[in-house]
Amino acid sequence: MNRALTATLLAAAFVATGCAPKQAEPTAATQPAFDPKDFSGTWDRYPLSTENSGQDPTVVPRPEPIPAPPLKPEFKAAWDAEQKKINAANAAGEPIATGYTHCIPDGMPAMMMAMFPIEVLQTPRQTTIIQEAYNQVRRIYMNDTLPAVEDAEPGFWGHSTGKWEGNDFVVETIGIKDNVRFRNAPHSAAMRIHERMRVIDKDHFENDVTVEDPEYLTGPWQWKWVYQRRPNYKMYEYVCEDNREYADPVTGKARMRINKR
Amino acid sequence: MIPGVFVKARLLAALLGAFVAASAQAHHSFAMFDSNNQVRLVGKVAEYTWQNPHVYIELEARDPRDPKGKVQHWSIECANPGILNRAGWKFNMIKKGDEITIVAAPLRTREPGALLKQIKLPDGRIFGNGGPAGPPNISIEDGKPLAGAKP
Repeated sequence: MNRALTATLLAAAFVATGCAPKQAEPTAATQPAFDPKDFSGTWDRYPLSTENSGQDPTVVPRPEPIPAPPLKPEFKAAWDAEQKKINAANAAGEPIATGYTHCIPDGMPAMMMAMFPIEVLQTPRQTTIIQEAYNQVRRIYMNDTLPAVEDAEPGFWGHSTGKWEGNDFVVETIGIKDNVRFRNAPHSAAMRIHERMRVIDKDHFENDVTVEDPEYLTGPWQWKWVYQRRPNYKMYEYVCEDNREYADPVTGKARMRINKR
Repeated sequence: MIPGVFVKARLLAALLGAFVAASAQAHHSFAMFDSNNQVRLVGKVAEYTWQNPHVYIELEARDPRDPKGKVQHWSIECANPGILNRAGWKFNMIKKGDEITIVAAPLRTREPGALLKQIKLPDGRIFGNGGPAGPPNISIEDGKPLAGAKP
């Protein structure tokens, strides 16, 4: 048997038996503890208060509270007055109905606060993020060209493009409808949401959010969200089928429908 | 600082943080319900509706605040199926006709509606209503105030 044939037969035997030439076992030094580009899976916001969350709220730093939007003075007065009205209504036990009362989903950027779990699906062409509440879906197309602001059809989740900068997943979003508001902050069609997502350890990733809007904001509005992996979680469906909390047509306050017998 | 005190302080900080987060992280305000004056209701389930955005239990029970104590119909708001599943509930764990005990925050309007805080099933199992709805401040066993409970 010639040498070439022997080598071929040996190689075939390796394939047939599933054996492969033994490689050095990875050591703690060579084996990364996590894939820094892997955001896939299901995640909770962090820290999470819900019972049975299984979270240790001290394991990574808690993000700072989200600051008020840096609105230009001509818009800030109205926003301040609105906040005062909301707080007073809550204190009086008569909360004002919100979009949720009407089964309206968060849209962007609010869906990323992950009030309910989120699921991230990564493919080479797009990253898809699903928010369990209201079955919200956003699609982030990799290395896509965003339309010009005036051509961007407005929606709840807008138009998003993503790219890698090192291990940072950098996303830009435009095209958010005027009535889709985070923290009641008004915005223009020119609003841009920048997100920089980074896996910080095997169980956490962070999202540095910057909102820019030259028409409404004096400067960037920035905050951080942190997420913790919820392993093996299967997302529940969420159709806002019948909200028995409703907006009183006269006062605009939220009320609860009592089923009469 | 001695270790025991440190652990307690850390736990307190975590709980306090959790309470703040719970207050901030709900899909809507719970201000229409009076969490300071919770009631314990014992009654029979007329209907159990498992749907979003809220699960509801229709309950025939006396109003403990009513001296005449006649049985009336209550609508009890629970969290949503996702939160409740994560808190250990099941869509079929309550049946029409079940005798249950609950602790709930009644509507401030005094209409017979309330936000669930805790539920005890006929088999003795006790469940909460998820984090955002907040904990009970009275005992589900006897309605007496729970030591150290906050609304």
